[in-house]
Amino acid sequence: MTQELMLFLKDLTIKKIHEGLKNKEFTAFELTKEFFDYIETRDKEVQAYLSLDKVGALAAAEAVDIAIAKGEDIGPLAGVPMAIKDNLLVKGLPATAGSKMLENYTAAYDATVIKKLKEAGAIVIGKANMDEFAMGSSTENSAFKITKNPHDLERVPGGSSGGSAAAVAAHMAVAALGTDTGGSIRQPASLCGVVGLKPTYGAVSRSGAIAMASSLDQIGPLTKTVEDAAIVFNAIKDKDPLDATSVDMEYGDDLLHPKLENVKKLRIGLPKEYFVEGMDEYTRAEVNKAIEKVKSLGIEVKDISLPNMKHALSCYYIIMPAEVSSNMARFDGIRYGRLDELQQDEPKSLLGIYHKQRGQGFGKEVRRRIMLGTYVLSSGYYDAYYAKAQKVRKLIKDDFDKAFEEVDVILTPVSPTTAFKIGEKTSDPMQMYLSDIFTLTLNLAGLPGVSIPVRQYEGTGQMPVGFQLIGKAFREADILGIGQFYERL
Amino acid sequence: MTHITEETLEYLAKLSRMDLADGEKKKLAGDLEEILNHFEELNEVDTTNVEPMTGGTAQRNVFREDDANTRSEINGSSKDIIDAFPAHERGYLKVPAVFGGEEE
Repeated sequence: MTQELMLFLKDLTIKKIHEGLKNKEFTAFELTKEFFDYIETRDKEVQAYLSLDKVGALAAAEAVDIAIAKGEDIGPLAGVPMAIKDNLLVKGLPATAGSKMLENYTAAYDATVIKKLKEAGAIVIGKANMDEFAMGSSTENSAFKITKNPHDLERVPGGSSGGSAAAVAAHMAVAALGTDTGGSIRQPASLCGVVGLKPTYGAVSRSGAIAMASSLDQIGPLTKTVEDAAIVFNAIKDKDPLDATSVDMEYGDDLLHPKLENVKKLRIGLPKEYFVEGMDEYTRAEVNKAIEKVKSLGIEVKDISLPNMKHALSCYYIIMPAEVSSNMARFDGIRYGRLDELQQDEPKSLLGIYHKQRGQGFGKEVRRRIMLGTYVLSSGYYDAYYAKAQKVRKLIKDDFDKAFEEVDVILTPVSPTTAFKIGEKTSDPMQMYLSDIFTLTLNLAGLPGVSIPVRQYEGTGQMPVGFQLIGKAFREADILGIGQFYERL
Repeated sequence: MTHITEETLEYLAKLSRMDLADGEKKKLAGDLEEILNHFEELNEVDTTNVEPMTGGTAQRNVFREDDANTRSEINGSSKDIIDAFPAHERGYLKVPAVFGGEEE
C-alpha cells in the first residue's frame, strides 16, 4: 500500500494535479487524505514537518471539490498540497520559526503570500522545519528536531529551508514555500534534488514573513519541476501595500510559456571566480555536465569575470548579522507568548525579563549572530565594518551590472559540496558559512536565482547536485525559461 | 588581529539585552574572533568614492495614501494579538514596572 502510494505521489506535479482534478481522476479531498496517510509513516524518519493541519487542509480541499462540482474554472494551484516554512504566518497555525522563543505563538493573520495561495485554492498541509529564524545551512539549528535528507537519512537536507526541501523531495508535498537570505531556498533544493527559486528582491511581498535580514530576505517556491516553480512564483509575486520594498512589475507571457526560439538567443556567462578552489570534484563534474546540456539547447556560453565575488562572504557576514541583531530585538519573551504567564520567579524588572528570556529563548547560532551584529554596529566599529561592507556590496552589485551588459544569464554551482553528514559542520561556524559562498552574492545584489537539479535523482548512492542560473533583476522568465527547456532534455 | 575580551562580551550582551551563560563565553569569544579576523581581508578593497548600498532595492521614497486602515484588516484581530500576551487586562499588555524595579 505504502509503496504503491509512494509511486503515485512521486509522480505528481502541480501540472499533473491540475489535469487529474479537471479530468476527475481523483478529488482534492482524496488526494489530500493520501498525502496525510503517507506523511504519517514517511515523516517519522524524515522529520520535515513541525506541525500539520489535517482539519484545515481537508476543509480547503473540499472547497476545491465543490468548486469543481459546480463547474467553476479552477486555477493551476487549486488542490495542490503545499508545505510552508515555519517562519511564514498562516492564520491559526503555529509559527515557531524553529525557535523556542516562539514555541507558544499562533499566527494572528495570513502572510500576503499565504493569502494569495489560499485564494488560488492551494492546500496548506503543514509547517516545515527550519534552522532557527532561518539562520543556518543544514536545519540542524532547529530548536525542535533535525530534518533528514530523504535520499540518505544520515545526511542533512541543507538549510535553512530544509524542511520545505525535504517535504518536496520525499513526496510529502507537491510544492513548498521557503525563504532565502543567503541561499536558504537554493542550497537545500540542491542538496535534496529539487528546484528552488529565490526571486528578485521586491518581486514578492515579505509581509507576514518573520524577518531575518530585511534587505536580503525573499520568499520563493521549492518544487519538483522548473515549470511548477514558475506557476507558484506567478501566484505569489505582486506589489503589496504592506511591504514598501515590493515592486509593481509587469511579467510577460514568457514567464509561464517560454519559447525555445527566444531562450536560444540568451547568452550565458560562466564567472571564472566561481569555478576555482573549494568545490569538490564530483560537484564540479556534475555542474560541467549541466553546462554541456545547456549548450546543447543552442545557447551561447562564454567566460566572464566578477572580480569582487571573493569579498562577498565577508560583506554578507557583516550586513546580515547587523540586520539580524536589529530584527531579533522584537523578541522580548513577552510578546509572541514565550512566557505562558509572568511567573513569580521572574526578575522583577522588565529589563531583567528581557535579559533572561532572550538568553534562554535563542539558540547558539542566533546568539552568535546577534552578538556579531551588535559588534559591527557598535560605536567605534561601525565605519570599519558595517559602512565598509555596504560599499563592498555596491562593488559586488556593479560587477553583476557590468557582466549583464555582455550576457543575459549567469551559470554557477549552488553549493560547493553535496549533502554532508549530520553533525559534520556544527562545531565550526566558518565551515558552515562557506556552504553559502555561491548563493549569497545574489542576495547582496538583489538578483533572482534558481537552483535546478543537474539530473533526476537515481538512487545510486550519489547525492543530488544542483546548478544555479542567475538572472537580471525581474527577469525570472529568462532563468526559468532556460530551466524549463533544460528539464525536458 | 581582533581580540574579544570578557569585558567586550559583557558589553555586547548588555547592548543585546541577552544573558550569556558562563560556559559559553570562551567558545563564543573564539568564534567571534575567527569571524572578525576573516573580515580583515576587506581592508584590501579600495572603496574610495564608492556610494554605500543601503538596501536591497533601487526604490526610493515610497509613499502611500494616508487612508485609515483598521488593524484587523492588516494584522488580524486585536483579540488574537492580545491573547498572545502572557498577561493582559482590559486589552492592555501587563508587564512589571518599567521604572523603579530592580536595578540592572
